[in-house]
Amino acid sequence: MNRNIQLLWNGFIPENPIFRLALSLCPAVAVTTSVENGLALGLAVVFVQVCSSCTVAIFKSVIHPRVRIPAYVIIIALWVSVIDMVLPVINPDIYEQVKLFIQLIVVFAIIISRLELFASKEPLVPSFFDGLGMGIGFLFGLCLVSAIREFFGVGQIFGYDVQNVLGFKPSLLVMILPAGGFFVIGFIMATFNWVEYKITGKVPASGGGH
Amino acid sequence: MKEIIKITLSLTAICVAAALILGAVFAKTDHARKENEEKRNKELVQGLLGYGASAKAPENLKVYSVYRYVISEGKTLTLGYLVPLKDKKHALVQVDLSGKPGKVTQVDADETKLGERDTRDAAINGVLPKGAQATYAETFHVADMDGKRFGYVVEGTTQGFKTFVELMVSLEPDFTIKGVGIKKSEEDPGLGDEIKKDFFKNQFVGKTAELLKTLKVVKEPLPTDYLPALEPALAKRDKLSPDQVAKIKEKHVKDDIYALTGATISSRAVTNGVKDIVRKFVYRLDILTDALKKENVQVVF
Repeated sequence: MNRNIQLLWNGFIPENPIFRLALSLCPAVAVTTSVENGLALGLAVVFVQVCSSCTVAIFKSVIHPRVRIPAYVIIIALWVSVIDMVLPVINPDIYEQVKLFIQLIVVFAIIISRLELFASKEPLVPSFFDGLGMGIGFLFGLCLVSAIREFFGVGQIFGYDVQNVLGFKPSLLVMILPAGGFFVIGFIMATFNWVEYKITGKVPASGGGH
Repeated sequence: MKEIIKITLSLTAICVAAALILGAVFAKTDHARKENEEKRNKELVQGLLGYGASAKAPENLKVYSVYRYVISEGKTLTLGYLVPLKDKKHALVQVDLSGKPGKVTQVDADETKLGERDTRDAAINGVLPKGAQATYAETFHVADMDGKRFGYVVEGTTQGFKTFVELMVSLEPDFTIKGVGIKKSEEDPGLGDEIKKDFFKNQFVGKTAELLKTLKVVKEPLPTDYLPALEPALAKRDKLSPDQVAKIKEKHVKDDIYALTGATISSRAVTNGVKDIVRKFVYRLDILTDALKKENVQVVF
């Protein structure tokens, strides 16, 4: 398989940031109360991850290895500020929805860990695909968690009531509260491990944890 | 030693490059962003007056903004209202804390300059005597139609669950609430953020200034017959005619505000904010009208 496609797939399932690496769980629990929020933040993360990975891959020879972490933070903050300024011009309505979370992206563990582990060692093209894969994996994770929480918590998907289709309306308040986020992420993680165990027959290694 | 210099240089270069890029993006987007914000604000005011994307505001609806300033001169505090005049100029009407009218000063600046916060502050401080300092407090909008009072939209801030919630309250000429809008808030998504939903905001509609005095938040579920009348989308689904909606609202007009599930504090914050804004506005408008009459200021509204 082409290495670039493999990198994309790697971020999506085998090293999914939320369910396998267990990175950036804070935002994953905080914002996933509705699919809309999850989707918007996920897209912003894809943008920041891809741009930062590419920037670091291009300029890694200029960055002094002793101060690489501060340099990465500056680069991430730069792209976050750019999207924070450009988005209200392009689409003020979406910005109103996600402005709370955008500035938080600076401190997401997943972005800086990909810069440190991958983009600082590899050339531009693989870094781009790694960033894209990780971003999409994060987006997928957020959407999955928020869909489950929104469905069980308020009985809606994308803000539409499920009552008309199913004939009943689930409303478990705990799913919308932060505790519910941990439950859902825990159950999905367990499912991931169980599937891997069934396929490979090996007990999966535990994630990074942040 | 050599390494330290190298590190310093490389970090400085990164910072300078980042600052340059950010500066360029800011210069490109700042104007458009401010314009968008202003447009949003204007749409919000019009929406609260009953016009929006679906129903365009008629030509003869005129909305005038009045800006309230707190002016400190030495140890004395006065309040300044920037009002639009009939001859397209503006005047700063000063009122002392007991409500006695004071000086009226002309402010020569055009509409666009006074619309923006920074230039407006500069224009007002320019006409004040030396040593006096004006600080912006808030804005309210007066809407007229064909020379008759159509309503008011009052802006205000209240303490929410974590940060401040910026509110807009639209009032009939007799101070009955016509609508409540959330201009800016940072409540928790899925919990306190529900204050932006129609079924919460519309509970305030129709409450008179008298009812507001005793209004409180109750932790009870919203009555099932009340909900479709509050959500326009649900009213459409249940095929309720405007008459039926009005009837249900009439039945519940004396109800207290039903708290949002899991967000009692945010519900209380908005309710107290609305109460406070209306109470103060009624008092202030009375004083301002009195002052305008006594000083014979030819205001446009």
